[in-house]
Amino acid sequence: MRPFAQQKGKHLMGSVRRMAILVLGCVFTLSACGNHKSASEPAPGSADTDSGKVLNLYIWSDYLAANTLSDFEKQTGIKVHVAYFDTNETLETKLLAGSSGYDVVVPTASYFERQIKAGVYLPIDKSKLSNLKNMDPQLMSKVALHDPDNAHGIIYTWGTNGIGYNGKMIKELLPDAPLDSWRLVFDPAIASKVAKCGISVLDSPAEMMRAVYSYLGKDPNSQKPDDLVQAEAVLSKIRPYIRNINSSEYIEALANGDLCIAVGYNGDVMQARDRAREANKGIEIKYSVPKEGSILWFDMLAIPKDAPNKVSAYAFLNYIMTPQVIADVSNFKRYANGNTASQPLVMDSVKNDPGIYPPLEQRQKLAVQLADSADQTRAITRVWQKFKTGQ
Amino acid sequence: MKTAAYLRRFGISGRGLVVALPYLWLLLFFVVPFVIVLKISFSDIDLAIPPYKPLLEWVGKNSLAIKVDFNNYAFLFTDRLYINAFLNSIKVAFISTVLCALVGYPMAYGIARSKPATRNLLLLLVILPFWTSLLLRVYAWIGLLKANGVINNVLIWMGVINEPLTLLYTPFAMYVGIVYSYLPFFILPMYANLEKMDWQLLEAAEDLGCRPWQAFYKITLPLSRNGILAGSMLVFIPAVGEFVIPALLGGPNALMIGRVLWDEFFSNRAWPVASAVAILLLILLVPFMMWYQSVQARESAGAR
Amino acid sequence: MTTSGGAAVKSAPWKDPSARPYVQVDRVTKAFGDFKAVDDVSLKIYKGEIFCLLGASGCGKTTLLRMLGGFETPTSGKIFIDGEDMTGVPPYERPVNMMFQSYALFPHMNVEENVAFGLKQDRIPKAEIKERVATMLDLVKLGDFAKRKPHQLSGGQRQRVALARSLVKRPKLLLLDEPLGALDKKLREHTQFELISLQDKLGVTFVVVTHDQEEAMTLASRIGVMNHGEIVQAGTPSEIYEFPSSKFVADFVGSVNMFEGKLIEDEPEHVRIASDDMGGTIYVSHGISAPPEAIVWAAVRPEKIFMSTAQPAGTDNVVRGAVQDIAYLGDLSIYLVKLPTGKVVRVTQPNTSRHAEAITWDQQVYLSWDATSPVVVTR
Repeated sequence: MRPFAQQKGKHLMGSVRRMAILVLGCVFTLSACGNHKSASEPAPGSADTDSGKVLNLYIWSDYLAANTLSDFEKQTGIKVHVAYFDTNETLETKLLAGSSGYDVVVPTASYFERQIKAGVYLPIDKSKLSNLKNMDPQLMSKVALHDPDNAHGIIYTWGTNGIGYNGKMIKELLPDAPLDSWRLVFDPAIASKVAKCGISVLDSPAEMMRAVYSYLGKDPNSQKPDDLVQAEAVLSKIRPYIRNINSSEYIEALANGDLCIAVGYNGDVMQARDRAREANKGIEIKYSVPKEGSILWFDMLAIPKDAPNKVSAYAFLNYIMTPQVIADVSNFKRYANGNTASQPLVMDSVKNDPGIYPPLEQRQKLAVQLADSADQTRAITRVWQKFKTGQ
Repeated sequence: MKTAAYLRRFGISGRGLVVALPYLWLLLFFVVPFVIVLKISFSDIDLAIPPYKPLLEWVGKNSLAIKVDFNNYAFLFTDRLYINAFLNSIKVAFISTVLCALVGYPMAYGIARSKPATRNLLLLLVILPFWTSLLLRVYAWIGLLKANGVINNVLIWMGVINEPLTLLYTPFAMYVGIVYSYLPFFILPMYANLEKMDWQLLEAAEDLGCRPWQAFYKITLPLSRNGILAGSMLVFIPAVGEFVIPALLGGPNALMIGRVLWDEFFSNRAWPVASAVAILLLILLVPFMMWYQSVQARESAGAR
Repeated sequence: MTTSGGAAVKSAPWKDPSARPYVQVDRVTKAFGDFKAVDDVSLKIYKGEIFCLLGASGCGKTTLLRMLGGFETPTSGKIFIDGEDMTGVPPYERPVNMMFQSYALFPHMNVEENVAFGLKQDRIPKAEIKERVATMLDLVKLGDFAKRKPHQLSGGQRQRVALARSLVKRPKLLLLDEPLGALDKKLREHTQFELISLQDKLGVTFVVVTHDQEEAMTLASRIGVMNHGEIVQAGTPSEIYEFPSSKFVADFVGSVNMFEGKLIEDEPEHVRIASDDMGGTIYVSHGISAPPEAIVWAAVRPEKIFMSTAQPAGTDNVVRGAVQDIAYLGDLSIYLVKLPTGKVVRVTQPNTSRHAEAITWDQQVYLSWDATSPVVVTR
């Protein structure tokens, strides 16, 4: 979802860049949109006319092991051109504008699901992926909720949403604070008591709504308007106690004690924990997956329908599923992977870190974030705008 | 040479090209994008590539149907959010413009009245920030304003405050960022205007009984009206659509039309609605630009 | 040329030691860094005078004027106006108005508003402002132009607006910086006389800065000739012209033939100078104060030299030369006569007759002058 070593503010910097892309994209890409491509139509050039010598990869920044690409180039002789994105929206805009020119992209599953419906991705010919057998069937079945039959992509890494917290600061304000519950954030009686040390939430409406639904005991993927009304009521009550609504600032703020509670991604909270340890100021950051349940996220590898080098793309997907390759990614970048065969090669310090590989009892509380309908998306965005601005 | 002769055969001369160039520029970078955005604003959202429905569609073999959807515009008036965001953006832009004028005018005045040698240095200092990216400069403000940032640390060190002040993610930080970023746009036209000013007029005014501040109010200010207007428009118009600075420095409750547009485009994937917001924003700014144009035209035909 | 000071001052108060000066400049110096723009100047100006500060550009005359107006502060020395020490008094509190060289009309106000500006500043009742502005505009013959903006006026009209604006406040002292500099010659001459009559009518004291000696001659009751920040001579136009106190003044005001020589006779009633420059002796019918055998200069104005083909009587003040050049100016002609010593002498002769016997190029002529004509200066 969000790579480990993301720098603060990247989310928004990306947004800005995206605005520029939007404008330019409108001028150049879409001016050719007279020939409107419908979802079902096969993309032009889908025949395997490519040379198989080049691969255009579009991936989160800092999301590969140092040797991942060089080894691939050595093994296959395929030259990799890599470009980086910093939010799913950037990727999605490029894909929806069409003719992105990328061969392999790395969307998060909830976005991936909708993009499949828009006809963005090439159905995978599984016979071309001999390493598919290495994948964890349990995780694959979770992904199949987004992508039936796992027809369009494979798992690259996965993780959870949860709460990063500074137990010491919270205990000073509320000794019996429920550190493993969404009540910490969403129960006004509790939030009001711990607000003083700083609560932060993600600026990501769909994900935050899942958290509220879990707190309310609803289906996290509920599309019912009534549920949204209740969620809105919860949010409006806790608004005064929320210091930051930001998807990146909380890493540093947690690490240096400006915040004590942050709803965030496991990778980011781990990064905050490590930074706090390095600073050595006695700040101890922990991560919990709330007992009411939370989100399980997957970053997928997929091939756009109009990818110019599909042969290379298949080669790359198969390569990534090699146990040693993906184990290196997990070892160096400290993200859980979905490759069963690689697990013996993953270092113990990674494998046994509950922040990376959640313990079994946590995993059972996790649900995938299914794509919302367009109307639901708009409704959620609106609720979120109201939450943020009071308007 | 050969190509020139060739082009001339088609009535294309070098001079004609030079004249055509600005129009070509305008066509390519304003008219074409505008028409595309306008087109999208009249279409419907779709889960496809691109994510909206075409305006023109073949119906049967020989008939072409045009489907123009005004709902995207109508929709903007069903929810107070859009109007409020527009109004708030105008408010923010207006306050920023006033602040820019209050800060920038004395600076432009000081530069215009300094010695020619210092003047160039001062102008350079005004332009210097442009040599780095806007984002970098705004991030620098984060470093200054944050809880354990430079300003708070200095204040605590001096003993002025005990607890760090909440500066970042407040309207204050947002205005600091906007004023800082747009200040050169105010100072430069203001300076160009003041630089042409005949300072002897101030001596004449003092001679006729004005105190210096009265002379400023009665002579300098009315004569520099054009510069104030030019600078204000250069700040106001882009500030209305400002997205980056409120997003990075302002609090989450800063409701700006730029942010609403962003949400429509990226969160809701509603390109048509986002386009309608963009078109409406443009329409909203046209009166300001026309007013400015007319004042400019009147001024250049008149007094000066 | 020597139309004399047409000013209102007929009584010559500067000759009366008991008269109280209206403006007194007392040992004023203005330095800009190391450069002394005005150097130890003392000056007394009396009520009703038109006092001209005359000098080349950069001589410090404008700086002196600006110190009177309060736009510059003296580095040392004091300025009194009407007996009051002006040190630290800003321009807007001085009983003084200034007419700027550029006129400095307010471009955003019409003629009427420009003229009314100073009165409004003094919070004078509206009706009175209206009346005074109208009177003043009539006086400068701009009644019909009240609603025009400055850029719609000619140079002469602007000058008159500027004048009206500075006079409407009825200052006791009006400072004028090159008031006619921007006008063409015809208009300038006309305006000079208008200025004088206006000043006469209003009884204001004028201090005028000019680089144009003719203008100074026409306007001034007295002229202060400035050079390098100093007033080298102050006096009535005729004093300055007829009795220059130095080579500089003699040379600067009008044209002059300067003969260098040695004092060979120094009597109370006359002096005689032997001039190698001239190649003869100069007899002057008044005494001077200089040590015997001193090197002095005898200045003879071109119009005071007689030119003849026949040799005049006497040996003093006579010299022979050849006509080198002739300039016919209509009312008079200028002759450049080359002496055997190599010196060229300038002679002007009025063209009194339409068919005068012409003296032509290369003709040998005798030049002579009266014993009262030369002015002897020692520096």
